[in-house]
Amino acid sequence: MALAEKTAIDLGTMPEEAAALAEIRAMVQPCIQCGTCTGSCPNEFAMDLTPRHMWRLVLLGLAEEVLASRTFSLCSACYMCTLRCPRGLPLTEAIGRLKQLAARRHLPHLRSGDLFYRNFIASVRRHGRVREMEFMGLYFAQMMNPWLPLRYAGMGGRLMRRGKVALQLPSRGSGRLVKLFEKVAEMENRS
Amino acid sequence: MKKKIGKALVVGAGIAGIRSALDLAEIGYGVVLIDKAEHIGGVLSQLDYQFPTNHCGMCRMLPLVERDAGSQFCLRKGLFHENIEILLGTRVTAVAGEPGRFTVSLRTRPTWVDPQRCTGCGACVPVCPVEVPDAFNAGLGRRKAIYLPVPHQVPNAYRIDPAACTRCGACVDACPCGAIALSTAERKDFRILVVDDEPIVRQSLESWLEDEGFAVDTAASAPEALEALEKSEYQLMLSDIKMAGMDGVELLRQAKTACPDLAVVLMTAYATVETAVEAMKIGALDYLVKPFDPETLVPMVMRVHEELLAAKDRQVEVGAIVLAGGTDYFDPRQQAGNPYGYGRLPAVVTSLEFERIVSGSGPTTGRLVRPHDGRPIRKIAWLQCVGSRDIQCGADFCSSICCMYAVKEAMLAREKGAGEVEAAIFYMDMRCFGKPFQRYRDRAEAEGVRFERGRIHSLAPAPGTADPTLRFVALDGTVREETFDLVVLAVGQRPARGAAELAQMVDLPLNPWGFLATSPLSAVRTERPGIVAGGSFAGLRDIGESVIFASAAANEASRVLHGTGGSLAAIEEAATEFRDVSRQPPEVLVAVCTCGDRILSQNDRRQWIDRLERDPVVQETIFIDRVCTAEGWQALADAITARRPNRVLIGACHPYVFTRRLRELGRATRLHPALMDVVDLLGPRMAASGENAEAVSSSGDLPRRLAMAVARLQGTCLPQVEATPVSRQALVVGGGIAGMTAALAIADCGYPVDLVEAGDRLGGNLRWIGHTLDGHDLNALLAEAIARVGKHPKITVHANTRVRGAFGEVGHFYSTLEAADGAAQTLEHGVVVLATGGGEAAASAYGFGSHPAIVTQKGFQEALAEGRFDPAALNTVVMIQCVGSREEPRNFCSRVCCPTTLKQALALKRDNPEATVVVLYRDLMTYGFAETWFTRARRAGVIFVAYRLDDKPKVEVAGPDRPVTVTVTDAVLGRPLTVAADAVVLATGIAPGLPADLAAAYGATLDQDGFLAEAESKWRPVDSLREGVFACGLALGPRNVEESVATAGAAAQRALRILERERLPAAHLTAVVRHSLCARCGRCIEACPYEARRLDEELDRVLVNPAMCQGCGACEAVCPNGAAVLNGLSMPQVFGMLDQALA
Repeated sequence: MALAEKTAIDLGTMPEEAAALAEIRAMVQPCIQCGTCTGSCPNEFAMDLTPRHMWRLVLLGLAEEVLASRTFSLCSACYMCTLRCPRGLPLTEAIGRLKQLAARRHLPHLRSGDLFYRNFIASVRRHGRVREMEFMGLYFAQMMNPWLPLRYAGMGGRLMRRGKVALQLPSRGSGRLVKLFEKVAEMENRS
Repeated sequence: MKKKIGKALVVGAGIAGIRSALDLAEIGYGVVLIDKAEHIGGVLSQLDYQFPTNHCGMCRMLPLVERDAGSQFCLRKGLFHENIEILLGTRVTAVAGEPGRFTVSLRTRPTWVDPQRCTGCGACVPVCPVEVPDAFNAGLGRRKAIYLPVPHQVPNAYRIDPAACTRCGACVDACPCGAIALSTAERKDFRILVVDDEPIVRQSLESWLEDEGFAVDTAASAPEALEALEKSEYQLMLSDIKMAGMDGVELLRQAKTACPDLAVVLMTAYATVETAVEAMKIGALDYLVKPFDPETLVPMVMRVHEELLAAKDRQVEVGAIVLAGGTDYFDPRQQAGNPYGYGRLPAVVTSLEFERIVSGSGPTTGRLVRPHDGRPIRKIAWLQCVGSRDIQCGADFCSSICCMYAVKEAMLAREKGAGEVEAAIFYMDMRCFGKPFQRYRDRAEAEGVRFERGRIHSLAPAPGTADPTLRFVALDGTVREETFDLVVLAVGQRPARGAAELAQMVDLPLNPWGFLATSPLSAVRTERPGIVAGGSFAGLRDIGESVIFASAAANEASRVLHGTGGSLAAIEEAATEFRDVSRQPPEVLVAVCTCGDRILSQNDRRQWIDRLERDPVVQETIFIDRVCTAEGWQALADAITARRPNRVLIGACHPYVFTRRLRELGRATRLHPALMDVVDLLGPRMAASGENAEAVSSSGDLPRRLAMAVARLQGTCLPQVEATPVSRQALVVGGGIAGMTAALAIADCGYPVDLVEAGDRLGGNLRWIGHTLDGHDLNALLAEAIARVGKHPKITVHANTRVRGAFGEVGHFYSTLEAADGAAQTLEHGVVVLATGGGEAAASAYGFGSHPAIVTQKGFQEALAEGRFDPAALNTVVMIQCVGSREEPRNFCSRVCCPTTLKQALALKRDNPEATVVVLYRDLMTYGFAETWFTRARRAGVIFVAYRLDDKPKVEVAGPDRPVTVTVTDAVLGRPLTVAADAVVLATGIAPGLPADLAAAYGATLDQDGFLAEAESKWRPVDSLREGVFACGLALGPRNVEESVATAGAAAQRALRILERERLPAAHLTAVVRHSLCARCGRCIEACPYEARRLDEELDRVLVNPAMCQGCGACEAVCPNGAAVLNGLSMPQVFGMLDQALA
């Protein structure tokens, strides 16, 4: 893919997020592209870009391509790359920032994970813990895919038989954590 | 030969220490060379092969002038020089004083084996019950507590490792020479008095301490103790506190009054600890809380004992100190989590262990098999940057040496494996920055060594085996797995163990990386005048660079010694008048040392006499018991005086040890020592493996060896060669920083220097560089150098002058100088230092010249300085590395361009943080501490893109007012990136400025790139092959300012060896020409590797310069007429030896 006529190395591609991206870029700037992160990553087999490839794009300011990939969303935060990076870079943390950036954008190819995460947190917010049935129900409803619940049916049945999850109806919950969440949101907006 | 009163201490006897010591000794200073190890040679004693030759070559460091003053054999085996005293197992314990007058305390570890008596027979080894890992074989083998530090050392005396020895005494009984004395003797002199009113305490203490060899007496009460103290002398008193009658504290008070030197340790119950602490205020050394066991008591007593011994440290007075402590290797176990499984996976070894595996003296005797299971090694991986360039393990530096030794090891493995060995090197940047390194690397690749770019993060055993499997990411992003027979970790360097303590002792700081901090732009000088750093002690250097920095350090030390009066002449002994035996027929006295009855018994004597006296030149054969002892030596001297032979042959042991003693014998008997020879009858015991040493010696082999030596000795005659007079002044060509430094270094030692500069001003490249990558101001350095040169009474500067022609050889060169106004003059000088410098190579690629934005590094710097470029207006700058470098025809790395790029990029980022700076590189050569700046540049946001030689960046120019477009393929992304640049900076590297005809006028040669061809890139890095011609700075090869300054110091020191002498003496082993047989064919002139021969057309004769001849014999081998003769190894002598060998 040629990038002729356009200066590829340009931070200004996304003005509204430029600051956040510059921060992520600064975190990985001393990278020497040795590939230790890729070699260490247990989820690398499922990624469309290798971690080294992804960091290279970040360094070159090609963040759109990073956000268009699934690589960072597949990070399971095992911290193996952070542990092994010879430059001692905070890679897992940088991926966390990328995830946040992507979440704010509601990227369509990451919709499933995005909704899963949002409903999980929403359930925690309401009840102080996750209520699996309610959370999965809301997730399925928002995904609007009638076949999706079938994929989880087998596992759900087994979990229910063992008493791990129970049938629950959605409820408003006690809402006692709401204040905490609001405070965190306020603090995040302030900083 | 020590002609001066000055003396220096060299700490560390690795190659750098040896180089410094020899450099000082050769100009007449005394040297004390110490090493904490039990052998000389440092890590090089373990390394058998060095690139680019894949041989050793260490012996090339031996003296070339006045060769007879030192040993002339393999330097890996040992070193002897008249002016050098070597102390092994020795460390510095204190340093006091000032330049010219340091008092240094040295402590030598006892080895408990008398090296004078030990013959290295090895009888002690089988009886020793202790086995520990063998450090010489990097832990791959095991050794006993009594061992040889290095198997090839000469003389090779055994040592006892005090940490491992159990003092069982088995070796003492086994030793046939009575050479071993365990340290109990010293301990017996350490008398201890135990005072306690409880008999059980007295008895147990007595038995514990006597077991350790101490002399112990006991007393049951304080008055009894005082009585004992009065009667005899004690060093230590162990006293109880609570005793009936007088208590321990009172005893202490009275005892200290009577014997103030007595050390007192109080024994106390828990209840009286406070009393004991109080007692320390009135002189108690320490206290022990009862109840205690031997594990507490004995070490404490030993410590007191050692401290008392320490007070007896040897003090030496020296004028200067050279710290050449070298470096240590990184231990991969220290990496967090030990990801390479070193120590867990048997097939993962360090590079040093691999060197031992391929070494003939290693655990596998050089066969390429795995030491742990003996399986042949067929597939090897080298992992680079283990413990280097790794911030996680505190190494924000490049170790500088690992890339090249890995390539060498890969080549060796392929050579040893007859091409069946697969060798792969996994690297981040291949840092082959030395002059011949890039070509060596290219050769390795052409010969099949695989180079894979990528860092291996961890190793795991392949399922079901212990073979290590690498999982790595190829450049295209695919993850691959590969199993190897052996994985070699290319471990990096670390400051030497003990370096920090040594630095603290001499009150010098360490640099941020933990190495000794040196003065800016010197790398040799430190904050304390008179204390200098040599070799790799203050940095990360390979062999060649270490040797340069060692010579430079020796030069600094010489200047200090000279400046503090060290060059004053010591009292010279009157020269001995030797008997003139030239007209006598040879009469050889053979003296055989019987060494007890070890060499030969009474019965064999007749047989030996018959065998030897078959040759009529043998005057007599005498037998002397232990010729090495004073009595034996006197008996020999008496025999020579009485019988007046004109040749003497001694059959004993270690011939190398006798060099100095033969000289004394010569003085005593007035027979020239060149007419004496020593034959080793005890060695070599390093017979080829499997050969029975006993069988070798018993079968009449020893008399045969003597007979061969007789055959050689009878043909030896004293060389009738004149010593060459020396014109004691120097010519330095080139007035850059290297030339000025060399001139100052020579002039500071008292010799006149003529400094010739073609331009109108001194300074060379320093006039435009400005400052270094680490921010040191070069203008200040330049101004200081110019001022010093201008003021120096011994330096004459010839500006606007060129050397038009020259001839002559070492000791007396004649050069014609021509000034710009045409005035010519001829100078006579003894040596010449070529410091003609170099410049930035011309750019001819990437559209240079077609657009004002495309500039070279120098052009960029000048444009910024002149305001043609405004940093604020430069939004995007592309810097392209290796322009025309590291590819034929200029296939070498210029070393300075990558750091210059970082310097310029960082300056740009500082002045305009918004600017985008893109560096296009092949391998970023930020070796050594420059790596830190690579990290900083990345942090500052400079973007680095690696390109491949077969896919170079493309530069397109659309028009003078439009930005230049640069397209490069990013290797990680695997696709082109396009950048519109406001400036394109080309790093073109260095082009030498040494005219071939100038070098040729002095008989030196250039290498294929136009730099001076050094005599040997590692061992004689600033000498040309032609003695008396040296080079420094860029004329020698690409180097940064600090390194160029060091080469100047080194070249000056090498030059001083010659200027130091009024006449250059010839060694005894020197070639001569029989003019009546000589046909002037000239083959010997071509064959001479030292260019010591030339055809004198006036005389019509081939002449040999005896000062340059090194006695190699190449001329004798090629001469078709037998006209080239090597004195001491002539054809009749060699054939005579062969006859005797076969008789």
